[in-house]
Amino acid sequence: MLTKKGKYGLKALAALSRVPQGQLVGIAELAQANAIPKKFLDAILAELRNAGFVRSRKGKLGGYCLARTPDEIMIGHVVRVLDGPLAPIPCASRTRYQPCDDCDVQTCQVRHLMLDVRNAIAEVLDKTSLLQMAALGGTEALQETLSA
Amino acid sequence: MSATAKSIVIIGGGASGVLLAAHLLRSDDPDLRVTLIERQGQFGQGLAYSARLRHHRVNVPARGMSAFADDPEHFWRWLQRREPGKHTSGFVFVPRRMYGAYLEDVLREAGERQPGRLLVMSEEVLSLNESRTGVETILGNGTSLASRWAALAVGHETQPARSRGIAVRSGSERDTPLDPDAPVMILGSGLSMVDAWVSLAEARHRGPITVVSRNGLLPTGHKDLKPIQIDAADVPFGTSLTYLTRWFRALVAETEAQGGDWRSVVDGLRPYNQRLWQSWPMREKRQFLRHLRPWWNVHRHRLPPDLHDGLVRAVHKGQVSLIAAEFVGIERVGDAVRATLRPRGTRRHETMDIARVYDCGGVSVDIRASGNPLLQHLVRTGAARADAMHIGLDIDQNCALVASDGAVSERVRAVGPLTRGRFFEIEAVPDIRLQCQQLANSILSTVTGSPAQR
Repeated sequence: MLTKKGKYGLKALAALSRVPQGQLVGIAELAQANAIPKKFLDAILAELRNAGFVRSRKGKLGGYCLARTPDEIMIGHVVRVLDGPLAPIPCASRTRYQPCDDCDVQTCQVRHLMLDVRNAIAEVLDKTSLLQMAALGGTEALQETLSA
Repeated sequence: MSATAKSIVIIGGGASGVLLAAHLLRSDDPDLRVTLIERQGQFGQGLAYSARLRHHRVNVPARGMSAFADDPEHFWRWLQRREPGKHTSGFVFVPRRMYGAYLEDVLREAGERQPGRLLVMSEEVLSLNESRTGVETILGNGTSLASRWAALAVGHETQPARSRGIAVRSGSERDTPLDPDAPVMILGSGLSMVDAWVSLAEARHRGPITVVSRNGLLPTGHKDLKPIQIDAADVPFGTSLTYLTRWFRALVAETEAQGGDWRSVVDGLRPYNQRLWQSWPMREKRQFLRHLRPWWNVHRHRLPPDLHDGLVRAVHKGQVSLIAAEFVGIERVGDAVRATLRPRGTRRHETMDIARVYDCGGVSVDIRASGNPLLQHLVRTGAARADAMHIGLDIDQNCALVASDGAVSERVRAVGPLTRGRFFEIEAVPDIRLQCQQLANSILSTVTGSPAQR
């Protein structure tokens, strides 16, 4: 399932995608504007930087920006980095699976179903770019404003 | 519909062309017409599977070499009919010319399913002209063919050897018999280098063999193992190469801690190699080609175990020495040649005198430098262009040719190694057969309204 970490990471990326190219956003500003604890955001952005999705510059005028254009960043790729191999339950991963205490890996039907579920999740998330996700939020936000 | 409305011309009769023809001819449509054109006149025997290489073997176990992805035992059954009782398991590496013979049989059987649908021609193709109604294929004999579709399957191409013809391609006409005690040099560390070494070993060459490549690596050997199971949801697509490499190494360490082998990880990842490549922006692709590819190649493109052992023995005995260096150039000095190298991590130039230099720098990648008249024509007229990485032809996701102005061809497709700019992992039969199956189905569903039948 998407953890807080994954959700915060996606929100931060979406915020960075709205910034004009070449412009950096300070981490405090990013944390405040998206209601993310700053220390947590520090750790999240460090992981996103290691994975090549964001770039940073240190110092007073430093901050973060996307390392690629928003259409080149796929949501599924980001979630794997932040939350691991898209497993709805910890045992439902082939490469990073953690066995449950109560069942046998080979015969547990729940696990088999959840393996299918996570591949379906990957199908959707790997076809959705940050740009597309930002557009989703955009229309929803727009509709909310209109109906208010 | 007239007969020509269901016609396709395939240019190139090597493995890719034969596999595409065979997949098309699985259709039951009696009006389908497939014309396969090969300039060498031998079908199924492209660069990889030609009879010229008498002792060379396929670098993939027989169990992975079926022409049809949905009938994985097809080659294995053929092999058992051909050599009854000789092979006890599919983990066997057959001579390449035997695989060429298999492809010939695949083509013959495909043609015999419904006589009159397959035409094979031994001709050179000079150019293609696409119009709204079809494709005109201009042949070297002055005639032309009209068809609704055309497919480029021109495959691997060796460029002339480097350095103004002083270096020699192994097995070429200029590879004349050598003094068995003469020192020689091989440029390259891939499977072509091993081919050159096999040729020398078969000729009982005793002289020292110096292998020069950027990193001084040797291809690894196969083992009879099963790949580990990996799902798409496990693979870190789209990340930086350092991130991916760390993930990969951790998975190898974990697999080996459980008694497994790194080969099972490399092979487990195989179904996702094309998606991994496609998930990277240009920057990562470029970095991969520049920094990671040599290491990837020696682990991914492995040798039959006995061949690998023989090569390692030759290195230990000192007959073969591996040098990590950049090849600077060569010049003739009397009967011999003098090669200049820049050893890795240094700025100094070193020279070495040898009797012959074999250029095994691999297969051609930049189509703008192609020696094939058809590719030259397509590039010159703007009907085709190199992909962004300059490692093949630019095509769209359906393998349709992309012109220099970005327009996508309605009627011309490409298959095989030439499409590596989009797919990267498209060098070997297991990937090419799948590509041919998909392309055949997409063409047939347009032409006849239904995909191929078994």
